[in-house]
Amino acid sequence: MRRNLKRIVYGAFFGLILVLPLLSRNEYVLFVMNKALLNIIVASGLVFLTGFAGQISLGQVGFVAIGAYTSGLVTTRLGMPIPIGIVAGIALSVIVGLVVAIPSFKLKAFFLSLVTIAFGQIIYLLLVNLTAVTGGSQGLFNIPPMKLSGTPFTNTLYYYLFLVLVALVILLMYRLKYSYIGRQMFAVNDDDVAAEACAINSRKTKVFAFGLSAGLAGLSGALTAHMVGFLTPDPFTFFDSANFVAMAVVGGLRQLSGGVVGGFALTWLPELLRLKISGFENYYLLVNSVIVLLVLVFLPSGLGASLSKGLSRLWGEKQGAVTLHNSKSKEGE
Amino acid sequence: MVLSDLLQNIIGGVTVGATYGLIGLGVVFLWQSIQRINFANISSAMLAAYLFYTFYAQLHLGFLVSFVVSIAIIAAYGLALRYLVLEPINRHGGDKLEFVVATLMLCIFWLSVVKVIYGGIAKPFPPVFGEATSFVQIGSISIPSVYFWIFFVVLVLVFALHMLLQRTMIGKMFRATAQNKEMASLVGINVDMTTSLAFMLATSIVGIAGILLAPIYFVSLDLGGGPIGIKGFAAAVMGGLVDPLGTIAGGITIGLVENFSTLFISSAYKDVISFVVLVVVLIWKPRGIFNWTTKGD
Repeated sequence: MRRNLKRIVYGAFFGLILVLPLLSRNEYVLFVMNKALLNIIVASGLVFLTGFAGQISLGQVGFVAIGAYTSGLVTTRLGMPIPIGIVAGIALSVIVGLVVAIPSFKLKAFFLSLVTIAFGQIIYLLLVNLTAVTGGSQGLFNIPPMKLSGTPFTNTLYYYLFLVLVALVILLMYRLKYSYIGRQMFAVNDDDVAAEACAINSRKTKVFAFGLSAGLAGLSGALTAHMVGFLTPDPFTFFDSANFVAMAVVGGLRQLSGGVVGGFALTWLPELLRLKISGFENYYLLVNSVIVLLVLVFLPSGLGASLSKGLSRLWGEKQGAVTLHNSKSKEGE
Repeated sequence: MVLSDLLQNIIGGVTVGATYGLIGLGVVFLWQSIQRINFANISSAMLAAYLFYTFYAQLHLGFLVSFVVSIAIIAAYGLALRYLVLEPINRHGGDKLEFVVATLMLCIFWLSVVKVIYGGIAKPFPPVFGEATSFVQIGSISIPSVYFWIFFVVLVLVFALHMLLQRTMIGKMFRATAQNKEMASLVGINVDMTTSLAFMLATSIVGIAGILLAPIYFVSLDLGGGPIGIKGFAAAVMGGLVDPLGTIAGGITIGLVENFSTLFISSAYKDVISFVVLVVVLIWKPRGIFNWTTKGD
């Protein structure tokens, strides 16, 4: 009986996700859904980087910007096809991510977060000031949308494309988490000296984590560029980086679902608060920050963890059988 | 001509940089007492500037009263920060990262509160430090009279803090707690009290820096986020997160770098260059270049 319930709930959930564009012809809902899916990609990268490998990045939006602008420039200025633009965006993000990983060999926690903040700010200031390349605060226009046999993608098509990509990202992360790479990462996260003593190359794992999360951010950025069609430096500020980290932390850093839950919740929350019926339309950012603050204070292990706990209670499963989790999170050094 | 330009930039850089140093002190004091970084550090500066603006320009309370009342409120806010943010997070098992993100959200929260109450348009700062157009002419150098005020206040504040930390019992307790919490409480120091003191000191010093910076940046949302806050962090890092005087020196360095990159390169890239300097310092000397407190490893 309980097992059936689990199947029904999950089946209904995935079914709903699959048919959502057919149920709602509302372009706004679909657009926000697409944005949520794109944010999920970035937030999952951060869960991987911060939750699994223990490296903090408060400049993740810098990678998103690199991906977006690279793809935008390659397709507009060089006239290349979109897939090449996206691949170029990802590639450049990964390369820059590998460079940003270098300070992480020596620096920890706060100092590393400062380096990444500085990185994000530098990218932002370059976007604003390198007017000849990026269009400055005027922005970059006429980025071609993706096309299916000549006609541009609708929001529905983008939705399915992003859904497939998110599924692939989660599959990748799942495979990585339970592979030797993931186990090495948890080891480095717990204690990198002890990990080194077990012949784990901590530098290699850190570089890998930075590269992967930067690549995911770049992918998300490149897709955004083609979905929206124009780029300005506005959505690439320090506070947007903070927002991505908030997504990862609110969702929960210690499980794969964290990025998905956090990305989804924190994309929809401000949008819902913006609606007239919520009554908060004038100060949705204020209420948004208060809600996030409360979640952080009262559910430090994240919404994702609470959700899976609640669900497994619903179908009466025993908890915490064989899970790979971080010991550090509880001890707090 | 060239020499006077140089001198002018040095004076400007040192003065503005000293306030970055004050912002850095807020970071240092909290780091010393709780080993956490408050990313909403800079919000205290913005809040103090807006409070001062309210009391002085809107309620006409007089300079000294407005100043004292705003700083007192900011100090109380420091206590609230401890008991409403840090302690609940600790109680529910949150770690450093939760505190980081919580304070980041707090930073956004204060920005939106100020935006809702005062609107997004910068307010002109009341000319308490002399008219904005008044300059003091020394030879061919003209210095805004505001700079003298800033310099004077920073000097007094740094001296007072130095005396407090080095010469009084409270300072001794504070330093002992910073070095080793368990040992300090073993010898009968009230660690709880010194932690609260650290919070209040941190927020009120940053608050004073905010009021001092307001004539330059106006009473605006710029004071509450972004580049200024990061320059405060940079100053703190240069002092190795321990040394108060080193933090001021670090702030002055950032101010000078900023002014000279405006002079020689371009004002558009002054922030880029200060951030690059920050990254270089972090990688080259993570213990800080003006760290005179802890020697060696």
